[in-house]
Amino acid sequence: MLSLTHSLRSLAIAGEAIPSNYKYQAVRWRKPRWVPKAKSKIFKVPERPVIPEEEKLELMRLYNNYRTKVKSLRSYLVAKHCTKFQASEDPEEQRRLFEEDLQHCIKMNNEWNEKQRIFREQAMTEELEANLSYARKRLEDELIKQEEKIKAIEEIVQKQKEAAKNFILPENIDEAIDKALENPVDYNFAITLNGEKIIGYYNHKVGDKNENVVKQ
Amino acid sequence: MLPPASGTGIFVNSSEKVIRLLRQGCTNRPFFHIRRKNQHRPVIEQLGTFDPMPNEHNEKLTSLNYERIRYWIGNGAHVSQPVEQLLGLAGFFPIHPTSYMTAWRNRRATKENQEKSISVEADDKNEVKQ
Repeated sequence: MLSLTHSLRSLAIAGEAIPSNYKYQAVRWRKPRWVPKAKSKIFKVPERPVIPEEEKLELMRLYNNYRTKVKSLRSYLVAKHCTKFQASEDPEEQRRLFEEDLQHCIKMNNEWNEKQRIFREQAMTEELEANLSYARKRLEDELIKQEEKIKAIEEIVQKQKEAAKNFILPENIDEAIDKALENPVDYNFAITLNGEKIIGYYNHKVGDKNENVVKQ
Repeated sequence: MLPPASGTGIFVNSSEKVIRLLRQGCTNRPFFHIRRKNQHRPVIEQLGTFDPMPNEHNEKLTSLNYERIRYWIGNGAHVSQPVEQLLGLAGFFPIHPTSYMTAWRNRRATKENQEKSISVEADDKNEVKQ
């Protein structure tokens, strides 16, 4: 648009303002279409080329011959090369070729299927075998694990039975109480660096001479 | 990206095809590719070349791919007049009438020139004699 207005200005034609929505056709004009013929050229009629009658007749003859020859050549080439015609040539032959091709394809496919079937069956048996052996191994492992578990439990039970001999039961509770009262144990003592026990004053029993007594 | 000089090979079946010259080269140095082309679309295939500038042996070199030209004409491609002239001179088509026309016009022009020069020479001799 900008270049157009510029060129218009350069032609000194654009007197009025150009509306912005006006559409211009891009043509390589020396002169815009609406500018009339130059005044000096108004009555000028361009000369028509004059072809002599002989030459005209000769050219007509040549053109007729040429067109005939080219037409025949063209029709020959079309018959030979045109893809449309070639496709529709002899339907019986086309059908036979198609059938042959189809049979060949079916045969190839069957062969391949047979090969694949053998391969597939072998692969399937191998897979089944592998799965079975894996299952068996898992079962064995599971059994071993259970055995180990039972063994561990039995050990615990054995230990507890051993320990059960020292348990305090209702039958021997009086005896245990008497024993405890007879042998009071006092942990309220301190130890020196030499390993001597220093028992507290209040817990000191009369008669123990070996131990140091300190008033707290 | 510009399509390759040898053409894209892509075309619509129903579209009209033309074997014509396509100007390549640069200013004052035309060089033509002969191409099958439908208008406003990239070139489909390059079928040959034509260099209109005579070389040092005064030859205008042309190359044509007859096989493909045969194929495309057989499939209904049109041929432009300059290419028809070229094919006629190459012996693929019959010689185009315009080629004959240019030839006889050139012959006539040379003949006239020769006659003119002879008459001029004769006039000069006459002048010398007088």
